[in-house]
Amino acid sequence: MRTLWTYARTNVERTALILAAIVILLAIFGAWLAPFDPTQIDFRARLQAPSWEHLLGTDGSGRDVLSRLLHGAQITILSTLAVLSVVVVFGCAVGMFSAFVGGPIDNMLMRLADVWLGFPPLILALGFASALGASLEAAIWALIFSWWPNYARLTRMVTVDILSRKFIASADALGVPTHAKVTRYVIPNAFDVLIVQVTLDISAIMLAISGLSFIGVGAQIPMPEWGAMIADGRSYVANGWWIVLAPGLMIFLTAFSFNVIGDMLRRELDPTSRRRQP
Amino acid sequence: MTEALFAMDDVTVALRSNGRKMVTGVGLSVKPGEAFGVVGESGSGKTLLTRTVFGLQDDAELVSGRVRFDGQLLPEQGYARAARKLLGGRIGFVPQDPFSSLNPTMRVGKQITEALYLARGMPMGAQRTKARAIEVLGEVGIPEPELAFNQFPDQFSGGMRQRIVFAIALAQEPKLLIADEPTTALDAITQRRVIELMLGRCRSHGMALILISHNLELLRQSVDRIAVLYGGQLHNITHADDIGSRTVHPYTEALFECIPSKEKTLADIRAIPGEPVGAGFGTKGCAFASRCRYAEPICRETQLPLNGDQPGRFSACLLGRGADA
Amino acid sequence: MSYVVQRIAFSILSLFILLFVTFLLSQVVAGDPALIAAGPNAGAAKIAELRQQMGLDQPIFVQFGIYVGNILQGNLGTSWFTQQPIARDLMRELPPSLELVFLAMLINLAVSMPMGLLTARFAHTKFDDAVRLVVLAGAGLPVFWIAIILQQVVAGNWGILPIAGRLSFSNRDFSGATGFYLLDSLMQGNLNVFIDTLAHLALPAFALSLLFTAVGVRITRTSMINEFRKDYVTLARAKGAGEGRVMFRHVFANGATPALTVFGMQFGWMLGATVLVEEIFGRPGIGRYAIKAVTQSDIHAVVAVVFVVGVVFLIANLIVDMLVYALSPRKQRAG
Repeated sequence: MRTLWTYARTNVERTALILAAIVILLAIFGAWLAPFDPTQIDFRARLQAPSWEHLLGTDGSGRDVLSRLLHGAQITILSTLAVLSVVVVFGCAVGMFSAFVGGPIDNMLMRLADVWLGFPPLILALGFASALGASLEAAIWALIFSWWPNYARLTRMVTVDILSRKFIASADALGVPTHAKVTRYVIPNAFDVLIVQVTLDISAIMLAISGLSFIGVGAQIPMPEWGAMIADGRSYVANGWWIVLAPGLMIFLTAFSFNVIGDMLRRELDPTSRRRQP
Repeated sequence: MTEALFAMDDVTVALRSNGRKMVTGVGLSVKPGEAFGVVGESGSGKTLLTRTVFGLQDDAELVSGRVRFDGQLLPEQGYARAARKLLGGRIGFVPQDPFSSLNPTMRVGKQITEALYLARGMPMGAQRTKARAIEVLGEVGIPEPELAFNQFPDQFSGGMRQRIVFAIALAQEPKLLIADEPTTALDAITQRRVIELMLGRCRSHGMALILISHNLELLRQSVDRIAVLYGGQLHNITHADDIGSRTVHPYTEALFECIPSKEKTLADIRAIPGEPVGAGFGTKGCAFASRCRYAEPICRETQLPLNGDQPGRFSACLLGRGADA
Repeated sequence: MSYVVQRIAFSILSLFILLFVTFLLSQVVAGDPALIAAGPNAGAAKIAELRQQMGLDQPIFVQFGIYVGNILQGNLGTSWFTQQPIARDLMRELPPSLELVFLAMLINLAVSMPMGLLTARFAHTKFDDAVRLVVLAGAGLPVFWIAIILQQVVAGNWGILPIAGRLSFSNRDFSGATGFYLLDSLMQGNLNVFIDTLAHLALPAFALSLLFTAVGVRITRTSMINEFRKDYVTLARAKGAGEGRVMFRHVFANGATPALTVFGMQFGWMLGATVLVEEIFGRPGIGRYAIKAVTQSDIHAVVAVVFVVGVVFLIANLIVDMLVYALSPRKQRAG
């Protein structure tokens, strides 16, 4: 954490770090902080503008928007983490395998990844989610299904690069076994590149999950997922703008913060993008 | 003593980002038609110095010094812009890497005609331009220049590409040509041929040449005078013939001792001890003091002398080595 | 020549993988198609008969063959919801979507190319930092959210542009040969409809383009920065070329090529992202069609959309790569 803070050079980057920390804290403690039950319908209290009782107002069914937002943080962050962890582990395994095996299998796997990567992720996920039946789990699986080649390709690239360096040749000469090469050289070297990509992908996956929920193939409407909340609030934009504005702002601020942090990490960790000093 | 074509005096270059001084107090002058060499190890600041002085370096600037070209003093305000104006017409420049210094998607001929147009500031008719471009291509030794006119850079070898780059500069008929490590990316034989071609053409067109290189031997055999840069400081200006035959600056001497040749036995070839000091090292004394075999405590403390009153030859050694005669 | 052949072979391989994925989606993941096709009240005999008819008792590779054969004949199946052949539905829905994507792409290119070039030229200046911030923000915008807000504010509150639909009510009878109203109206010389179409396209196209433009600026910038570092830029400056000439005559031509490839991919992604905006703006198109199909559990229709978007993506990439090749010195010398 402290290292992250020292990386920050501008106030925007510091703000992004603080915002990201807040979102993560909300994902952990948000449910306790929520003043109301996020799914409690109360038609007498519907469409109330923000007030001291309902800080962010109520939605079309009288549910407290702030409480839903706080509960939603957990859903959004957890689903994003779920997608990312599976994708990173699986993608990296495929990528490293491909790099170590080499030859026609490597070639074929990477061709496959190329083709896979090309297809619009949203549409692929849409097809997959509809085949599984619309639910948040389906959306998560759908994104895993369409996202893994990113990491396979990245890891393969990094691994091939590391394997081609001189110290690997000397490791080979010393008879270092493959698993040791992976844990000792490949993983530490790939880590920086991966951490940058993961940070940047947090926002992309978050946007995709909320997008899928928005169009109805992800989280279903009473669930306080941010994208689903926007879908739910759509019909009330004219007389209940806060219902759509609040979750959208949350998505935007979270995605923006992680984008800024990812960009910062790339500057600090990725040697190829460092400013060239003459 | 003829009037200098190009002269810089007490020039200091600093990075724009943090104001760090990378090259300090350099003064040298080049006479019309003279072949002048600048030698220095990687990181000595020779490329940064030239690129900044001619307005080609965005991230560095001239923080002090006067630069004069053809009797005209360049202004301090808007220096880079004024320096850039001299390029392409009065001053030609050949960059380091022939493999990337030609625009890959533009035909060779077009790149030369563009240079002709830019040097004259007006079109001179398609036929005449083309004829002139082909003529220049022939002059730098490109076989079948008519054919080459319509080809793309990737169809030529490194040596041929550097000739084309040279042709571009030559077409503009400048009074001064600057070549920054023009042959480093080429093999030894091609290197020699390209350098000889450049020297010959510069001589026959009456152009002055500033040849920048890390290769002292190459310079010693091709130019009249050599300026030696180390750690962003000018240490020595000497006649090429003096190197190896008379006392020169200790660093120049050390550089020369690194060069293998027929006359030297293996024992005579001596590497310079220690690691080279990069430009912008930040002490006020002699940058070479840490590796110099003659160094005394004074060398690390006292500021280097400038060559303000010694236009022809100069040695910045505080102990006076190489400064006599 | 060999490059062209290789590139086309890659497209065919990609098409094959696409076919396989959609086959898996529609035949395997979705459950027993015969069971679904027979309806909830069918007896076991009826289902068995259907299984045989549909080739479901055959090995999976044969089934795949049948599937590919159907698609090659232009048969994407029948939609349960519209009761129409899906291919015919999509032919109707594709033009409005493509029209939207073309306009969004135009906005994307018009912003990304100059911004990418300028931020590369003035890299690490205040201007560059400011643009980067806008870009990072743009890349964090939920498309559907900004679409709703734009619709509410620009169309609803300000009343500057139409709220929804493809044409105004007064133009409801307009039809044309191609289905691309911008093109049709021009061909018929109907300027009124042309402007009306454009007005209806403006907001959705803008909303759709935002995220892609953000990425586009970054990609173009990276590509251009690489070019600015090369020595030919130094040589061009040394020739006495002004910065304008250096940027547009030298850097742009070289730096645009790698960026073009990404824009080609974005085209397909944009078509996929129409699911996020068409519904909001009440526009016909395959995005809205796909959502309808999903909510009606019309699995074949959904898979057909996946397939068609995939094909458009492959074609767009192929065209861009061919274009890049045609512009490259390699090609110019061969041809």
